[in-house]
Amino acid sequence: MKNILILSWFTLKEALERKVFIFFMIISAIVILGLVIIASLISTDSLVQGVSVTTQKNFVMNVATTLQFIIISPLSSLCLLLAIFSSASFVPNMLEKGNIDLLLSKPVSRSQLLWGKYFGGILVVLINIAFLIVGVWLIISLKFSYWNFNILTVIIIITFTFAVLYAMIVFFGVLTQSSILGMMVAYLIFLVLSPLLHFFKNNMDSFIHSSFVKGIISFLYYVVPKTTELLGDLTKSLASGKGINDYQPVWTSALFLLLMMYLSTLAFRKKDF
Amino acid sequence: MYAVEVQSLTKIYTSSFGKKKVQALTDLNLNVPPGIIYGLLGPNGAGKTTLIKILLGIVFPVYGTAKILNEDISNYKIKNKLGFLPENHKYPPYLTGESVLKYFGRLNGMSGKALDNKTDELLSLVKLIKWKKNKVKTYSKGMMQRLGLAQALINDPELIFLDEPTDGVDPIGRKEIRDILIDLKNSSKTIFLNSHLLSEVELITDRVGILNKGKLIREGTVQELTEKKEEFIISFSSELNEEILNEFKSKYNLVRASNGSLNVKVADLNELNNLIDLFRNRGLLLREVMPQKSSLEEMFISLITESDKQNSQ
Repeated sequence: MKNILILSWFTLKEALERKVFIFFMIISAIVILGLVIIASLISTDSLVQGVSVTTQKNFVMNVATTLQFIIISPLSSLCLLLAIFSSASFVPNMLEKGNIDLLLSKPVSRSQLLWGKYFGGILVVLINIAFLIVGVWLIISLKFSYWNFNILTVIIIITFTFAVLYAMIVFFGVLTQSSILGMMVAYLIFLVLSPLLHFFKNNMDSFIHSSFVKGIISFLYYVVPKTTELLGDLTKSLASGKGINDYQPVWTSALFLLLMMYLSTLAFRKKDF
Repeated sequence: MYAVEVQSLTKIYTSSFGKKKVQALTDLNLNVPPGIIYGLLGPNGAGKTTLIKILLGIVFPVYGTAKILNEDISNYKIKNKLGFLPENHKYPPYLTGESVLKYFGRLNGMSGKALDNKTDELLSLVKLIKWKKNKVKTYSKGMMQRLGLAQALINDPELIFLDEPTDGVDPIGRKEIRDILIDLKNSSKTIFLNSHLLSEVELITDRVGILNKGKLIREGTVQELTEKKEEFIISFSSELNEEILNEFKSKYNLVRASNGSLNVKVADLNELNNLIDLFRNRGLLLREVMPQKSSLEEMFISLITESDKQNSQ
């Protein structure tokens, strides 16, 4: 465990040095700053004008939650895109000749090395997402004097979604010792496959009549990580305090994560360097 | 107990689709006693680095067993007692010399004051203390090599593997590294050294193994390997006259005669003693009788050439 922590810590240092971390932080800081300016221009009193006193509190709560979600929703997708881009090279960098030789000569198991890098990547993204979400939440909460702690669960959902895709990036990183393939497949899932499968799954009967094609789509739907559901309905539901209605996207994506990391560990433990 | 024990070690590298196979090691047997400097020599592609990588668990053998400090190499925890300086090592460029040592020290289970002290001690030893806060991307090749040596020693290892440790280091730096290695040997550490620089190996190693095309073709002390059997240099205090020289030439195998000394080849020690008797009977005063030696380089080249000839037949 200690070795995993050391490796995670040094992955964070690597991110810092490669300016990725700083770039993330700057984008988040700009968003937060922009929000501070907008918040200072809006008067809460003028917002509740015409709303009856009895429903004012509910109205403000709804406005605050909607506002938070409107800001956080597109930002979470942007964060995920950036996170994939910035973390894809962590494992291939570790596997570079001269570097991996040294790491493998230390009393650290190969599994620890891989998991250390994996958790390091997640730590980088977690810190960045937390900074952004907490910043947005803090400003809106202060402005409307409504503290919706549920919005903070978005940090966990975005980090989890990233962790699922990152497990796949790690897998391709171990196999190819390159970041390109993993990054491409991650973007393909996030931007194309997951939204398409989500759409077809919900509207299958209107478009597809062949039971064979339906079977294939259903199979792919359950196999491919459900980034659309995770960052869409699930995030919205959690942010508004309704909890999780359907756990299927969570556990199928978690299974995908575990499978990817299991296969990565298996491949890494047998690989010659 | 040996520091390194290798039995029937075989390694075949296979390309991604299994089309191309390269036999890197073939049925290799090797034992390295503790507390010595062992030099592994061989031309490029002989399998030297592969052997070290197998011993450190970086590549896996297809056949055979190996033990390090009496532990099977599959036990990664034994690496706590090992140090390694790879050829072409690469450190994360964002680290400083000091943080490189601390990073690898921590991976070796070190921490706190002990790690701080050891880091400074080693940086002083390799003369990098002044640059300890500089990022490694600003280091020269020689500095990187010295940092690599410090890194290999961070955990006070019992067995140290060094792959071309003086590569890119200037002559003074090389001498300093040699001195460090001799000091390590004197403090009972075992050093396993891969090097192309035969003259250096000759200066510091206790035993040498010569690897060619994955096979150990010769092993022994430097003296054993460089000694030309049955060839001696006989030096005289008195003048050698032409008559004695001619008589000698007719009876014995003279290799060379120069300035009061003769290089002769004899069948055995009896013949050598007969020869000495002959000179003494002629009233010649002998100053020295010495076995003739070749340099490690001469021996290495002739051995590899011979081995290649045998392989091609």
